Amino acid sequence: MSLKYAYYPGCASQEITKESDRSMRKVAAALGIELHEMPGANCCGAGLLTDYDHDMMLSMNARIFCQAEEMGMDILTICSTCLMVMCSAQQELKNDPEKLKQINGYLEKAGLHYKGTVEIKQLMWVLIDEYGMDELKKRVVKPLTRLKVAPFYGCHSLRPSEVLGYDDPDKPHSLEAAIKALGAEPVEYSGKTRCCGFQVDLVAHDVAVEMTGTRLLDAKGASADCIVTPCPLCHINMDSYQSIAEKELSKDIDLPVLHLSQLIGIALGLKESDLGLSRNLVSPERILR
Amino acid sequence: MKIKFKIKRYDPHSPDRRKSYMQAYDIEAVEGMSVLEGLLKISEQLDTTLVFRKSCRSAICGSCAMTINGRSKLACNTQILPLQKKHGEVVIEPLENHKVLKDLLVDMTDFWHKLEKITPYLTPPEDVDTERVQITKEDTYAIDDAQKCIMCGSCNGACNALEIDKHYTAPAALAKSWRFVGDVREGESNKRLMRLSEDHGVWSCVRCGHCTEYCPKHVKPLTCIERLRDRAIDSGHTDNMGARHVNAMVDSVRKIGRLDEAAMMFKTLGFIRSLGMIPLGLKMQLHGKMPGIMLFPTIDGIDEVKAIYQARNEDKVRERLAREKKEKE
Repeated sequence: MSLKYAYYPGCASQEITKESDRSMRKVAAALGIELHEMPGANCCGAGLLTDYDHDMMLSMNARIFCQAEEMGMDILTICSTCLMVMCSAQQELKNDPEKLKQINGYLEKAGLHYKGTVEIKQLMWVLIDEYGMDELKKRVVKPLTRLKVAPFYGCHSLRPSEVLGYDDPDKPHSLEAAIKALGAEPVEYSGKTRCCGFQVDLVAHDVAVEMTGTRLLDAKGASADCIVTPCPLCHINMDSYQSIAEKELSKDIDLPVLHLSQLIGIALGLKESDLGLSRNLVSPERILR
Repeated sequence: MKIKFKIKRYDPHSPDRRKSYMQAYDIEAVEGMSVLEGLLKISEQLDTTLVFRKSCRSAICGSCAMTINGRSKLACNTQILPLQKKHGEVVIEPLENHKVLKDLLVDMTDFWHKLEKITPYLTPPEDVDTERVQITKEDTYAIDDAQKCIMCGSCNGACNALEIDKHYTAPAALAKSWRFVGDVREGESNKRLMRLSEDHGVWSCVRCGHCTEYCPKHVKPLTCIERLRDRAIDSGHTDNMGARHVNAMVDSVRKIGRLDEAAMMFKTLGFIRSLGMIPLGLKMQLHGKMPGIMLFPTIDGIDEVKAIYQARNEDKVRERLAREKKEKE
C-alpha cells in the first residue's frame, strides 16, 4: 500500500522549526510515505486572517485546497494550527454550498475553482488510521524502552472537536498510541491538553511565558524525561522559550521537547543530524543514550 | 450499577480541614442518570454536609457548572454511565478559575463583575425607536449563538488565558459583548470596541478553544471573539499590539504569500520592544533558529494571492459601507 499526500509543512516549519520539516521528510522516507511538494502554497493565516476577515481566511485556504485537488491528494500537515485552520475552512466550504460559491467567485479572479473535495490530516492520524501502529512497530529498530514521554497535544490538534473530529478532547489517545508504538511510556499530567500560550507570545508575552512554564513544570512534576508535541508552534514556546520561562518563574526546568517526527526518527534509528536534534535549544542528548 | 463518585471537598471554617481533600461515595446509578442526580442522592442519603449549587435540573438555569473528570460541564446534562465508561471513574471538582467557597460551591462575584464591566444591556441611540428598526434574518443570525448564553461560567472555568491572567475579560463577557456589538440596534458599538481593544480585552485570548468546546449551549465564544477582533480593526482600533499583529500577518500574506516572522515581530512590538528580544534571538541563532532578517522568498503564484485578496477586500469594504449606512438610518 502506498500512501501519498500533498505535503503542507506550514510557515514555522519552513523557517524557525526547520528541524520539524527535515525530520518529517526523513521519517516519511523511512516509512515509505510519499510527501508531494505543494509549490506556491500560501500561508493558512494561523487564525490571524480570521481576525481580519473570516471570508478572507476561507479564500486563502481555498487556494491551498485547489492545489491539492489538482494533485488528486489529501493534505498532510505537521502543524496543529494549520490543521485546525484548514479543517475548519474545509468543513465550512463543504457544508455550505452558498459560501463555496461566494469564495469561488473570488478564486475565479485568479483563474481557480475549488470543488470542495480535499481532506486535511496530521501525522498521528495518518499513522494510526492509514499506516497502522503495528506496521510502525515493525520499523522500530531502537525501541525507546524506559523513556517516560509527556504527550503535549497542543490546542489545535483537539479543539474544536466539532471541526477536527478525531481525538476525544476529554480523553485523547493518538499521541499516547504513537509513544507506546515506539516502546516508550506515556506520562499522564494535567497540562497534556492545555494551551502553551503561543498565540499571545507577542501580544501578552508575560502570560505566554507563564503558561508555557506551567505546562513544562507540570510535565516535569509527573517525572517525564521529555515532552513530545505534534505542533511546531507549541515547540517554539516549550523549547525556545524554556529558558525565559525558567527565569520568569525562578524554577529549574531543563526538559527536552521533541517534535513527534523527531521522536519517531530516533526510534527508527535515523541519524541525529537528519532529525535536526542540534537545533533544539534544550539538548535532547540525555534521552538518546 | 455501583459507581464511585470521587468529590473534592473543602471547608474553610473547619480548623483541621483548611486544605481540600478527595472523598469517595458509592452510589447506585442507572442508565440516563445525571451527575446532578448522583450528587442529590449523596446529599440526601449519604452525606448531608456536601455543598453544591443547583436549580432547574434541565440545563437552563446555569447553576450546576463544575469540573467533571477535568472538564467544565453542567452536572445536570452530563450522564454518569458514559463518564464511567470513558474514564473508568467519576471525579467531581469545583469550577476552575473561581474561588471555592465550600466543596463544589464557587464564588461567582468575579464572573458577574466581568459581565457588568462590559455593560450587559442594549444601549441604542437616543433618537432611535428600537421597535421600529427593521431586523433581517441575517441580522439575527449574526448574534443567535451569543444570545443562547445561560451564564453558567463553564467557559470561564475552562479558559486557559484566565488561568494565568486574572484581569482578562474572559469568554463569557466577550461573547456577551459580541451579542451587543453585533446587534443592529446598538448605538455604542464603537465605544465598546475601543474598550475591548485595551489590555485584557479581545487580544488577550490565547485561542485555546476550551470555551467553545465546553460551552453547554454552543455559544461558541471563540467565534464571538474573532468577530469582535474583525470589527475592532474594521472600526479603526488598530493602535494596539493585537491589531498590529493581525495587520502584519495580512500584509505578509498579501505581499509574499507566507509568514515573514521577523517583520511580524517588528510590526507588532515596535522597535524598542523588539530590542528586548535580542538575547533570545542570539541564543536561537546558536542553534540556527534566528528568524531571518534576510528577505523571505515570495511564493510562486503570488499574483493569484493578490487577485484573490483584492476581490475579497472589495467585497469586505462594500459590506462595511452597507453596515454603516444601516447604522446611520
